[in-house]
Amino acid sequence: MNVAVMKTKAEQAISESFEVAAAKLPGSAAVQARRAQAIGAFSGLGLPHRRIEEWKYTDLRANLKEVLPAAVEDKTPLTIAELLVALGPLAHVDAHRIVFVNGHYRAGLSDTSDAAGLMTSTIAKALQSASEEAVARLASTPEGGDAVEALNTAFMTDGAIVEVAKGASVNRPLLMIFVRAGSDANAVTVRNLINAGEGASATIIEADVVLPGAVRDTHLNTLTEVSVGKGATLNHVKVAVDEGKSLHLSNWEVRLAADANYSGFQFSSGLGFARNGINVLFDGEGSKLDLSGAYLARHSEHVDTTLVVDHAVPHCESRELFKGVLDGHGRGVFQGKIIVRPDAQKTDGKQMSQALMLSEDAEFDSKPELEIYADDVVCGHGTTSAELDPDLLFYCRSRGIPEKEARALMIESFIGEALDKVEHEGLREALASYAMQWLGRSRRG
Amino acid sequence: MLEIKNLHVKLEDEDREILKGLSLTVPKGEVHAIMGPNGSGKSTLAYVLAGRDGYEVTDGDILWNGESILEMEPDERAAKGVFLAFQYPMEIPGVAGLTFLRTALNAVRKKRGETELTTPAFLKLAKEKGAKLNIDVEMLKRPVNVGFSGGEKKRSEILQMGLLEPTLCVLDETDSGLDIDALRVVSEGVNALRSPDRAFLVITHYQRLLNYIVPDKVHVLADGRIQKTGGKELALELEKSGYAEYSNKAA
Repeated sequence: MNVAVMKTKAEQAISESFEVAAAKLPGSAAVQARRAQAIGAFSGLGLPHRRIEEWKYTDLRANLKEVLPAAVEDKTPLTIAELLVALGPLAHVDAHRIVFVNGHYRAGLSDTSDAAGLMTSTIAKALQSASEEAVARLASTPEGGDAVEALNTAFMTDGAIVEVAKGASVNRPLLMIFVRAGSDANAVTVRNLINAGEGASATIIEADVVLPGAVRDTHLNTLTEVSVGKGATLNHVKVAVDEGKSLHLSNWEVRLAADANYSGFQFSSGLGFARNGINVLFDGEGSKLDLSGAYLARHSEHVDTTLVVDHAVPHCESRELFKGVLDGHGRGVFQGKIIVRPDAQKTDGKQMSQALMLSEDAEFDSKPELEIYADDVVCGHGTTSAELDPDLLFYCRSRGIPEKEARALMIESFIGEALDKVEHEGLREALASYAMQWLGRSRRG
Repeated sequence: MLEIKNLHVKLEDEDREILKGLSLTVPKGEVHAIMGPNGSGKSTLAYVLAGRDGYEVTDGDILWNGESILEMEPDERAAKGVFLAFQYPMEIPGVAGLTFLRTALNAVRKKRGETELTTPAFLKLAKEKGAKLNIDVEMLKRPVNVGFSGGEKKRSEILQMGLLEPTLCVLDETDSGLDIDALRVVSEGVNALRSPDRAFLVITHYQRLLNYIVPDKVHVLADGRIQKTGGKELALELEKSGYAEYSNKAA
């Protein structure tokens, strides 16, 4: 494509930032060539804006004005104690840990030593020593990838490579921690690869957290590619907790082999401007997908969840349930597309997206889409937005519960249905605690 | 003592007056029943006592122990001892009964200047009071009222009442939707709470409930006013003659 487009200042600055960063980004010559290719692809595409259908409600071009330097290296001191503070309620979850500080692996804070059946390594290391074949896998933008994913390929500094061995059942979850610390406002780009082998089962948590006092206006671009093998079970949870200033661009690219069970959950609170893309491809028959999430937004925060669930094969089941709580001028965007390909008979897909509006100025844009090309399927979707039920509020208050607490209880009730999807009890409680912190309620003793 | 003086109430967004000068006094230690035909203002009275939005008091006052409660928020009234057992108790999905009860109890205790209960102390109390109403811990762990039968909902209302230890108990059609067995359990729960320090206002359409919760006085409410006051035998009379006499008065 050769279209002469006027570039915005930010687009130009991104290309310039790449020139500056390129030499310091990890990877062999072959990797560098792929990065250059990706930034070229980005230049062609530009930052997505509201005239592109998929970005109609989330105008990245209008919201990314200032380009921050790429976090090509990191030497921020961080102790275990500080890490635990940054983790908050998640610190109580008994898990193997792999830690990245400002997008760079920190061996001293990580502990995956005794994880039988679980192999972890890092992207940076793999990029340095990658064979031609590995480069093609590691340093590529997923098929159909957009400008954000192209930027991820160009700028990725590090991330986790996780391999759950065939048939292995990993009892403790793996906690992949991405912590921001220090005072440099920069752009952190992370790539993760997760592969659950045939018949394996594991729980993997990605956590984007901030050390209290660290710089807030960071740009994050995270791409996690997940492959779930035949008959494997993977519980995948992402937690992103921030204080309303940063830009979060997150993508999950998930591929499910036959008879796989994948349960994905995304929790976020306080994300300044966020786009959470989730693409799932059913690549083998008999698989189940359970995708859900809860997001909390206030002030002028903007949280976009955009899903594409692609039923490319028959006999698969998909469920989606997303709940947003919107206060102040907070804005929630939900776009959920279910595609059922011509051969994908006996597909069973259901989707629900709900928003709870706590203020008159909050906004919720929901766009569910069904694209069905097969004739023997059961598919449905729904979306609702509502205020707190005044009758229920009165009921709580008539029991002596003050208004603020009654409202919090009802919000807890609203997102509780989504949180219940998280199987791991400790993790579920940690998420409830984050929600309560957001609501200004203390942890239940 | 509850004193309702010349109470006039209309809906906030409608001009129609529902209570038209209702006056009533319930001393502590007494149970008073309010009976009346549908649409006479019984539920309005219950809601106005508890402080629900949507009603406008255009005249008169409600005093509880000598203090006007009209300007108080519902939770302040609860702290002052006012409790309304709902005709249709609300369901709260995603919030465990125990969490709800403990939040309510500690909020009320705090406002009354009492110490908050620890989790073990609260659990013990909830188990103890629940057992008397055939409510076990498993039921309390379930989300508030979700999937409960009519009887279970009413029993859980009475448990809330027992835990919050109100001094003014307003029961709004507590008998509706109950079979005889459930009615007996609920009534026993209510009777166990009768005490010289507590006033009860039992609102009902039917006399049946008053066989179990025997009132000191019965008031007939029709057309927004108390039309007649008598002893418990008045309820039996009403059961025979119906409300026609009072409805005619209203017309």
